[in-house]
Amino acid sequence: MKKNTRRQSKGSIKTFRFVLFIGTAVTLVLILLIIILGDQQFGPVHKIIFEGVGPLQKTMSTISDSLHSVKKNYIELLTVREEKERLWQELQECRSKAYANRGAVALNARLRKLLDFKESSTLPTITAQIIGKDPSLWFRSVIIDRGTSDGVGKGMPVVTGEGIVGQVYASSTDYSKVLLAIAPSSAIDVLLQESRIRGILKGTGKNLYHLEYILKTAEVFVGDRVVTAGYGGMFPTELPVGIVSKVTRNRRGMFLEIEVIPAVDFRTLENLLVIERKKKEFN
Amino acid sequence: MLTLSFILVGLFLVIVQTTLFMPSPLWLVAPDFYYILVGYLAYNFTFLHGMVVLLPISMVLDVYSGTVIGMYPALCYLGYFLLRLIVAKIPVPKSLYQLPCIALSYLVVSWFLILLLDLFQPQAISSWEWLPILFRVFLIYIFSFPLFRFFTFLDKKIRGKISSARFTRSKHGNQFRQD
Repeated sequence: MKKNTRRQSKGSIKTFRFVLFIGTAVTLVLILLIIILGDQQFGPVHKIIFEGVGPLQKTMSTISDSLHSVKKNYIELLTVREEKERLWQELQECRSKAYANRGAVALNARLRKLLDFKESSTLPTITAQIIGKDPSLWFRSVIIDRGTSDGVGKGMPVVTGEGIVGQVYASSTDYSKVLLAIAPSSAIDVLLQESRIRGILKGTGKNLYHLEYILKTAEVFVGDRVVTAGYGGMFPTELPVGIVSKVTRNRRGMFLEIEVIPAVDFRTLENLLVIERKKKEFN
Repeated sequence: MLTLSFILVGLFLVIVQTTLFMPSPLWLVAPDFYYILVGYLAYNFTFLHGMVVLLPISMVLDVYSGTVIGMYPALCYLGYFLLRLIVAKIPVPKSLYQLPCIALSYLVVSWFLILLLDLFQPQAISSWEWLPILFRVFLIYIFSFPLFRFFTFLDKKIRGKISSARFTRSKHGNQFRQD
């Protein structure tokens, strides 16, 4: 009896499920038909579906993007070593080019100064390049690549765009030796540009001059400009020589002790101008 | 051949010193290679050969540097004589003192010459300063190690060639004929 009751209830549940399934299916088909055959509008059902599926799509898209990114990174990682070497080589090339460019810019600036001087000066000049330097501690001279065949002769003044460098000490056909103004044996007639006080500028062997024979009564100040006096015709007048850097008044003696910083930086000398002057002017 | 080779080497060293090792006229770190050669010649060459090698080198130095003609020949020859004298008089093995002696002789000879110039031509030279000169002495000492190795190598190569050429030189006529 009990068994028959159980069988009957099982059969009714099955029937109910079937009816429910068919009903749901028919309802869905009806909804679909209504949607398809309806007014083709994005209705609330669509919106519900949209809202429901959206996050899923978003999540899947994020996962897909991550996977793509991992794949891309992996592929890139395979080529990164070669890329790194190529870029390093490129960097080295760029650095060497930049270094050469900096040198060219500095050379350009120096040559421009020389050119400015050459153009502004009425005196005939010969451009020259330093090819050798005096290695001793006691003398200061340089060798230039211009000689008597180029018109360079003994005693001619040598300058740069900044000021005086020295004078030609000896020359052969193609080369000359220039005694620098900072050499201990060099002595140049100079003036203090504003006060017109005259003195003798002597080299010290260092990047410094001593201005001698200026009386203690003279007013000399740090920062005064020193220019060539032009006496004796050796150097043209008013060429920059340096700037007074120290003035000492000793108790003893008649003269001031004056130090002058050269207008020319002797540590970076490369290109020079020899001022062409006739031999008569030196005699 | 040996003399000519060492003259060429000396000239090359002078050129290197006045160009490559002198980036600016006030540069201090310019080792006096020529003086190391003076030392090598004094220790290893005969008196006359050494003198011959030094002549053109010191003359080129005179052209390249300074305003007092004869300064470099005096420096080179004084150093050369002094070092030869030391070799002849000191009974200690040469290898113990030869390199420091070169540097010290440079100091002594320079000091002597500057003293002379200071007496007779005080306007021609810079005043004596201990720090730069001691630095130069130190540079000579440091650079004398590699340069001595190089000079010895060159010396052996050239002397070897000369002696082998002497051995292999063919003699004229029949060497086996007995008159």
